[in-house]
Amino acid sequence: MIVIGLFAALFTIVIAGFGVTMSIFARIGRINLIECVCLSWLLGVGVVSLLLWIGGALCSGLLLQAIVTLLCLVLAIFGWRAMRLANAKFEIPKLATITEWILAGIILIEITALIFVSFKHTLGWDGLLNWEIKARYAFLNGGTIPSTYYSNAGRGFSHPEYPLGIPFTELWLYLWMGEPNQFWVKIIFPLFYAAGAPLLALFIARLSGSRWIGLLIAALLPFVPSISASPGGVVVGYVDVPLSIFYLSALGYLLLWLRTNDSRFMIAFAACSALLPWTKSEGIILWFVLVLLGFVLSLIKRRVAPFIISIVPGCALILAWRVYLKIVHLWPHSDFARPSLGLLRDHFSRLGEIFTVLFVELCERGQWSIFWPLAAAALIYLFASRKLERIAVAGAVIIPILLYALTYVFSTWPSYTAHMTSSVPRLLLHVMPAGWLAIGLALSQSKRETQTL
Amino acid sequence: MRVRHYLHFVVWFALFALFIWISVPIVVPAMRENRFGPIETNRSIDAYLSALTGIEHGSEKLPDTFRRLGKEGKLVVFVRDENAQSEFLGMMIGYVSWPREVEVIKVPGSSVEKKLADIKPGSVAGVVFCSVDPPAWLQHRVPLGYSMTLVPVTEAAP
Repeated sequence: MIVIGLFAALFTIVIAGFGVTMSIFARIGRINLIECVCLSWLLGVGVVSLLLWIGGALCSGLLLQAIVTLLCLVLAIFGWRAMRLANAKFEIPKLATITEWILAGIILIEITALIFVSFKHTLGWDGLLNWEIKARYAFLNGGTIPSTYYSNAGRGFSHPEYPLGIPFTELWLYLWMGEPNQFWVKIIFPLFYAAGAPLLALFIARLSGSRWIGLLIAALLPFVPSISASPGGVVVGYVDVPLSIFYLSALGYLLLWLRTNDSRFMIAFAACSALLPWTKSEGIILWFVLVLLGFVLSLIKRRVAPFIISIVPGCALILAWRVYLKIVHLWPHSDFARPSLGLLRDHFSRLGEIFTVLFVELCERGQWSIFWPLAAAALIYLFASRKLERIAVAGAVIIPILLYALTYVFSTWPSYTAHMTSSVPRLLLHVMPAGWLAIGLALSQSKRETQTL
Repeated sequence: MRVRHYLHFVVWFALFALFIWISVPIVVPAMRENRFGPIETNRSIDAYLSALTGIEHGSEKLPDTFRRLGKEGKLVVFVRDENAQSEFLGMMIGYVSWPREVEVIKVPGSSVEKKLADIKPGSVAGVVFCSVDPPAWLQHRVPLGYSMTLVPVTEAAP
């Protein structure tokens, strides 16, 4: 029964996401089935967690579960109708060469392996005590986070102020399984990887015009130890991998929109970027970076108005979460002091050590192999190309790293270097798939810029 | 131009080969670690509690123990400051003792008695010491595995 419940939960997430994806892409005529499935998972997670959060304010228990399920079905029907009305058809990308077949096979094997390996490990420290704890308490309280959770300072260690995107996805699985099952809930995290790897291949293929390069890069992705073999990776149930996949997706669709001026890509960007702050607090920084890059690019391309509209969902979600925290009388606890010029002047001397620690981390082969030197080489290529779109990709890799590093100037920990070494590896993980996108674009020197996948 | 094109790919493929050469000895052994399962509801919390305290199925046994303290009153948890294992254990107690209110107090080690004296008995149901030695005068200790001790609060006051 538990496994049936698990599949029902996953199915409802995917169909809800399918409904949203179809409402975005139905008019395209030929819909890439792989893209549709990947995006259905990402957007489904967003839709279901948001519905549980909003619905939980009105009802709880079986009624909440029934209403959210019903809305998932309505979304799926809506999407299906949109697809029928547009006479759209699914299309599976046809792999042209033996190389592409082999690379696609490798990606499939890697995804299967990561799903299997995930079940060999327990949830990690943060996975259990920051994220799963919220899902468990909400489950025990009929689907809503009890107000006593927020009022008990003793449970401040679990960061009650963190957003609920992933905890409520876990909650959805618990509601369907009928118990807070810490074994099966881990399926969520490799599924993010399973959605992210094909999307990475797809973005590179579309932006470079070379499908095999996209597949090659996606096949290399799990060889970065931090994603597959280290604390913070896929197997320990942290939200850093999901956040990195949302960031990659938002960046990919932003670039596609800027290249094609196709409003469907802009909507996909709006949806993926809005879910960044809903996944982790640091998502606000990633969202801000994309907004900054998107604004500059849309200004150059004279498309500011639609771009401004595309950031409205993200703004709304950030605002809604702040209001919610205020309602539950919780002000975000922070390991950082409020930034001010005076503090910046006082702590300016930290910068040298901060960038030393950052450099040491980037060179840490046990975590990253030589991924960051590869990414650095790719960034040089991208800047040298003097193409706006490629420079934007380089910016999407560099700016978050710089911003993350600079935040430690305001760290309130007794040892800001200890603060850094404990958190920087996971922060770098957020940008890693975008770094692979940069490598893929640097590798491709093709003049073709067609959409082949 | 053609030579440059080939050189470009040769350099990148050499870098990828080096990347995989370095990664495989790290990634493959890590992926081979542990075995699949066990398929248990409280798989993660039980595994940690078992490793840190020796208590099997701690997610069920510990809440049962805390329930015997009565419905009212919070649980005060002493953990050793700057000791990751002790702090983690304290958080575990916070996790499993839901919905009871908890207060986690970090102590350097020697100041437990002073902190203990600050406890108002009326609002506290019990005190848990995680990798922290309770004061010698404390009676009626309930050992919870090999690194934790519970003292119901009526006995906790000096």
